[in-house]
Amino acid sequence: MARVELHDIRKSFGKVEVIHGIDLTIEDGEFCVFVGPSGCGKSTLLRIISGLEEQTSGRIEIDGRDVGNLEPVERDIAMVFQSYALYPHLTVGENIGFGLSLARKPKAEIAEAVNRVAETLQLGHLLDRRPKELSGGQRQRVAIGRAIVRDPKVFLFDEPLSNLDAALRSQMRIELTDLHAQLGSTMIYVTHDQVEAMTMADKIVVLKDGAIEQVGTPMELYDKPATPFVAGFIGSPKMNLFDGDVAAQKGCEVYGIRPEHIRLTDDGDWHGRVRLVERLGADTIVHAEMETFGPMIIRTDGQSELREGREIRAAPMPEREFRFGKS
Amino acid sequence: MKRRQYVIGITALAATFVIFVLPFIFILLNASKTSQDSAALDFSLPDRWVFFENLIAVVQARDYILLLAYWNSTLITVCSVALMVIFGAMVGYILQRRHSAWNKVIFGFVLAGLMIPPAVVPTIWLLQQIGLFKTIHGMILIQCAYGLSFSVLLFRQFIGTIPRDLDEAARIDGASPLQIFFRVILPLLKPVTVTVIVVQSITVFNDFTHPLYYLPGRENVTVQLTLYNFQSQFVSQMNLLFMNILLVTIPPLIVFLFFNRQIVAGMTAGAVKG
Amino acid sequence: MRRKTPYPYWFVAPAAIIFTVLFTIPTVTSLYFALTRWDLFSQTFIGFDNFVQFFREPGLTRGLINTVIFAGLTSGLKTVLGLLLAVLLTAGIFAQGFLRAVVFFPVLVSTIGVGLTFTELMHPTDGAINMGLSFFGIDGPGWLTNPDLALISVALVDVWRGVGLATLIYIAGLASISPEYYEAARMDGATRLQQYWRVTVPLVRPATTTVILLSLIGGMRLFDLIWAMTRGGPGFSSDVLASVIYKQYQAGFYGLSTAGNVILFILIGVLVMPLVYWLNRREVDL
Repeated sequence: MARVELHDIRKSFGKVEVIHGIDLTIEDGEFCVFVGPSGCGKSTLLRIISGLEEQTSGRIEIDGRDVGNLEPVERDIAMVFQSYALYPHLTVGENIGFGLSLARKPKAEIAEAVNRVAETLQLGHLLDRRPKELSGGQRQRVAIGRAIVRDPKVFLFDEPLSNLDAALRSQMRIELTDLHAQLGSTMIYVTHDQVEAMTMADKIVVLKDGAIEQVGTPMELYDKPATPFVAGFIGSPKMNLFDGDVAAQKGCEVYGIRPEHIRLTDDGDWHGRVRLVERLGADTIVHAEMETFGPMIIRTDGQSELREGREIRAAPMPEREFRFGKS
Repeated sequence: MKRRQYVIGITALAATFVIFVLPFIFILLNASKTSQDSAALDFSLPDRWVFFENLIAVVQARDYILLLAYWNSTLITVCSVALMVIFGAMVGYILQRRHSAWNKVIFGFVLAGLMIPPAVVPTIWLLQQIGLFKTIHGMILIQCAYGLSFSVLLFRQFIGTIPRDLDEAARIDGASPLQIFFRVILPLLKPVTVTVIVVQSITVFNDFTHPLYYLPGRENVTVQLTLYNFQSQFVSQMNLLFMNILLVTIPPLIVFLFFNRQIVAGMTAGAVKG
Repeated sequence: MRRKTPYPYWFVAPAAIIFTVLFTIPTVTSLYFALTRWDLFSQTFIGFDNFVQFFREPGLTRGLINTVIFAGLTSGLKTVLGLLLAVLLTAGIFAQGFLRAVVFFPVLVSTIGVGLTFTELMHPTDGAINMGLSFFGIDGPGWLTNPDLALISVALVDVWRGVGLATLIYIAGLASISPEYYEAARMDGATRLQQYWRVTVPLVRPATTTVILLSLIGGMRLFDLIWAMTRGGPGFSSDVLASVIYKQYQAGFYGLSTAGNVILFILIGVLVMPLVYWLNRREVDL
């Protein structure tokens, strides 16, 4: 069992409070993703859980044990860094076994553990290399190996895929998901990329300005965003959001509709003109200039024959409109 | 264009040769002469090459004092530089990694150590109080104190290039502060450590002033002190004086041949704003 | 409760203890000792008498003046010659690497060895320098025996010994100037000399700052070279503060010697601090 509980966590740097009282429970075995724009406090929160950063106030419990004043190593956690932070002067094998050797484990035991991990991650042939001789993906695996070898209760990932190219990133997403399934441990993963959050998470925590905006499964966040911020952050292309007169007509403060929830139909009430067409193959993203609304993004099928300048008519799918701050 | 560069090069080579190389040839020639021959102090070739006889004579002079001097100088150099490296790196590490009001204080002391000449008589008085005057270990600590500032600056600058993530990864791996420093940071400091060792060794080995003040006494003699004392002793034997100068010049020459790059790195550190 | 930091301040302790005991305490107490009459037997507080004596006795005052002359002369020459040599040795000339090594090597050689060698080379009658000059029909001066010349001769040897370091620093400074500035200057029609004055000199300013400061501080503190070559002589003609400090110490005037020390670091402070400020202010921001 490794349930992580945060109670009213606050953090200030000097006079500036950057984390404003966070309460959160992450269940045992859950893959939890902290997502938000840069500066939202997601990395700071992760570092507080890891023990690298000290909370100004609040309680952190892992497995019901108060770990708020413990050293990182005493918390039974492991962490994968954005830069991987592999020790350049040690070989892959020594990197993976470093923590065990610090704990003064017998040599044979270390070797066995390292080999077992190397097997899992297909690093066996690289054990004697140094980090600078490895490719980006291999370094990533070594960093993960260093985390696995200690068999921690909780894994922490700090934007681990952001230094990889797009193809490798989607492959590593799958590998990480597999790894989670295989180990079944609690994992906390920080990213600014909503695609990573949607594809990997059991639970997503959306953070903004040091406070939780919404917590939920990926589909909950997609289907029932609590705030315009979450609505705009989750989903791609972004949800169309309108305030002012448009929203007032709809009887709310912010009106939102996702691009994929707009139908192009000749009997639609919305009039406009196509400004730009992005063809992605499977889908077509239409950037339109609509009457009363202004700019709007509409997603339609890949076979669409739409062109720039064409007049269009559109309508929202029923039950898919969002009204925030309804009065 | 090519031709002009060639001409400038030849001229510069000739001028540099005359100005910078001739004195060394002068030393070498006179170290190979007999005493009568060397009294003329000129650039003529020796009448008779007695290089090895002179070498033996210098080493044997005054009851093998030169060997004692080399032993003392080596001991002082090795020990004080070892202390400077470890303690200097530790200060550089804290100075680079931690940010608080104390840093300014520490930095102030570092700059003071670079600029302010030591107050010699009070230092002698203090060494006497703590029983370190006229002792080799006193001298070692003195050299360490005087060399720390420069070492700290070099280390601090280099540690700035080591990502902090490594410290944190080690911390997550369960390393104590000492383990983070000695098992992760120190091994990564190798290039700058070599620089510090080389530059400081030459400085300590060549130091004349401080042993003159703090290390009087025949049994504590250092290489530079013997050389200075030989001057008055060998008035009629210039050949032996120059042999001695030659012997003192050779260690830095060897170090220079092997560690040219590190010396240049150390000597120019901070010269160009980075 | 605060957790332990990975960067504890006790890491500074070993260095701090050594430095404080052997450097800071003597430096601070020197401010008191300079105000005492202090010899082998006794120590009495006499106020500023030592300093008064320093500015009254010509032998001591001479040391103060000589220190300023020596430091100014050597740092001026090292700056100018260092930059010239650096420009020459980065021009891609023949045997460049060898020349750099040759110019730099004296920096690493024992100062005492250099001093003794040049003492012989500068011998008024038998010395190789004057014999060389007489070959061209020039009657060489008594480099170290003429009281008007001795200090300057030592300064020249110090430049010989130290210009390699200045050159090295300038070479590093020149290497950091992007070639694009020269290309831009050439597009603007600058001649070689104009490029030198309008591009090189201003942009190499950080190196100039370093060279001036290093050689100025080094020049004011210099002892070993003077002691190996002239011991401050003839008379007091080439005495500097550092040699005065040593002579007074040897003579048993510890208070006076310490006063000399205090004057030396006040001098360094007075000359270097404003210079640091001035040089940094005029630095070109890149």
